[in-house]
Amino acid sequence: MTWFSKSTTTFGFLLLAHACYSAYEHSALQSHRAASLSSLSATQQQAASSSLPLDISLETIVATVIITLGLVLNTAKLRPIQWRVWAGQIERAGEEGARSSSGEVDKDYVGNPFKLLESRPGFVDIRKQRKEFAEWVKQQ
Amino acid sequence: MTSSLLRPPGHLSPATALQLSQQAPNIIKNSPGAVTASAFSSLFSAPETPELWTIYENLLLSCLRTGDEESAHLCLGRLVNRFGDDNERVMALIGIMKEADATDDATLEVVLKEYEALLQENPTNTPIVKRRVALLRSLGRIPDAVTALTGLLDFSPTDSEAWSELSDIYFSQGMYGQAIYALEEVLVLQPNAWNIHARIGELLLMSIKSGDQNDSAKQLGEALKRFCRSIELCDDYLRGYYGLKITTTQLLEDPPKPSKQAESDGLSPPNLPTLQKLDGLATEKLGEITRRFTAGERGWQGFDEAEIVAARELLEKSSSTTVR
Amino acid sequence: MAQLPPQTIQRDPQLFYWILFPITVVMILTGILRHYASVLMASPPKKVDQPSLKEQRSLMHGVAVRSNSHALSAPSFKARREFLTTAFESGAYLKDPERRGQPPANPMTDPGAMDGMMGMMKNNMAMMVPNTLIMSWINTFFSGFVILKLPFPITIKFKSMLQAGVATKEMDPRWMSSISWYFLCYFGLQFVFNFLLGSDNAASQMAQQMQGMAPQAPNMFGPGVDADKQFQAEAENLAVIKHYSVLDDVEQRLLEGIKTR
Repeated sequence: MTWFSKSTTTFGFLLLAHACYSAYEHSALQSHRAASLSSLSATQQQAASSSLPLDISLETIVATVIITLGLVLNTAKLRPIQWRVWAGQIERAGEEGARSSSGEVDKDYVGNPFKLLESRPGFVDIRKQRKEFAEWVKQQ
Repeated sequence: MTSSLLRPPGHLSPATALQLSQQAPNIIKNSPGAVTASAFSSLFSAPETPELWTIYENLLLSCLRTGDEESAHLCLGRLVNRFGDDNERVMALIGIMKEADATDDATLEVVLKEYEALLQENPTNTPIVKRRVALLRSLGRIPDAVTALTGLLDFSPTDSEAWSELSDIYFSQGMYGQAIYALEEVLVLQPNAWNIHARIGELLLMSIKSGDQNDSAKQLGEALKRFCRSIELCDDYLRGYYGLKITTTQLLEDPPKPSKQAESDGLSPPNLPTLQKLDGLATEKLGEITRRFTAGERGWQGFDEAEIVAARELLEKSSSTTVR
Repeated sequence: MAQLPPQTIQRDPQLFYWILFPITVVMILTGILRHYASVLMASPPKKVDQPSLKEQRSLMHGVAVRSNSHALSAPSFKARREFLTTAFESGAYLKDPERRGQPPANPMTDPGAMDGMMGMMKNNMAMMVPNTLIMSWINTFFSGFVILKLPFPITIKFKSMLQAGVATKEMDPRWMSSISWYFLCYFGLQFVFNFLLGSDNAASQMAQQMQGMAPQAPNMFGPGVDADKQFQAEAENLAVIKHYSVLDDVEQRLLEGIKTR
């Protein structure tokens, strides 16, 4: 999915750049013509220089829409907002659920926030933990 | 892996703790040491983040657990450099360090004396109060620990961690009623903690097993409701379904006499069809969870291995009884 | 439409080095100085002694029991309600139970309250003094200088803002006087400070003014509040609450929820 959205965005940007360049060329051409045809009447000159051809405006609008589409398609999957779905994801998937597309675990991922109530870091019995760890090492 | 360093390492398996503490020298080398107090250099160094200090704290605990004293001392040194040794949390960490270094009970008594001296100075130093409780409990002086803890809860009844510890102490003494009361206090402070709901259910089941109260209809009913609530708060909560399965099995096999008190409190177990439906639901869900976990499906690997094994055993036992 | 020829003013390039640049540097340095001054002057949060801590936390506990009563089953809520209402009404959690019913002490005589006011005074002084100094410094040395031209056209309305201290009628509003540059720095340097000192700096006056303008949150445990009255009110709230429990019919909800999914 990502390559699709990325190519869409790139294509949109190309279109936009092209539209910009065309508009610039158009205005440059117009001013050049105005300078060379200064003998013509003022009203004609103004009408010619003020209007941009329809295809350039259309191209700009289409480019914007395509860029927006590409960016929207590229957004990460939305997180659940229902409590139980969110909680269920934590329980079910663990860290996997918070992994973004690049494989990084989300920075503000905390797991089950209520786990603290059972592990209770403030009351940690360090000696017991050390003993358990020593036994575990012996078993290995 | 740093993400797990942002969480306290108490519940991690020894293997993970070892892995974390092995990263310690690396992390210590790479992170900025003492954040300098001079304004000039702070303009150019990366801004310090709160995460850094959380990582140091958790690293310290992991290192102490795996016996890597050197790294632990380095971590503590940096924390002291940053926050000073009169910071309450740092004081508690220093205390933990001393506890870990102590080799015999006499040294621990000295540490305990130090805690008491600190509390004499400032009785509201919560981290130290908690350390004192933990040390008393570790020394086996349970009544003293309970007294100290209730003292803490008397002036700070909004500390859910302390209530939870109190519940655990009571539970270790077999005083189920008090343990449940304390957990209910936790729920008052954190009403959506699904694991606490399940824990209350478990305590209720255990208190029925131990048989110190006779109104089992009410207790079973409440346990059932607690498990249901925990599942309602958290989809696919293995522990909740496990408890639900046990409770419904017990209720179906050996329905307790309906009691008047349970009726009036609204805690009587539901009627037979509902029970059967709940039982079916729990069986189905447990089956699904174990199946998907063992199949290695993506997004289902967060469960605890041991819990899955237990769930599978429970399912096998129940299916064998129904076949017979 | 006849186009006016753009105004040109011959400016000494030294103006840039001796006015524009010094004002900017001084503004930034004052901001940094103010930040560190307020860090140094900040008094550490006052230690709360045990009885008052107990008073506050007990009240919070009462509020928690009331608002989260649904997590409890009916009998356990009833027990808590009875216990808490009696305790609240008898004033068991009060800091000094002998002082019940007396009017609250005058906050001016309470040293705890004075501390807070001193902190506010200090902050205000740290803001006012440098501002006055710099303003008068600019006024004495640099008043009446036109120091730069904005690169974009603006309307005539900005004239009074940008050309403060320069009384010429005909000048294009794009020209800017030194005192106006000072004001622009005053309002616009916040992001520079954010970059230099981190986002919660005390350098920017704007943020502090915003703070000052925001309505003060009602201070729940501040001085001058009668804790006993709060406890009485909380006891009443607890007594009248209509209790329901999430445990009622939870199994029905669960079965229906699973089915509809």
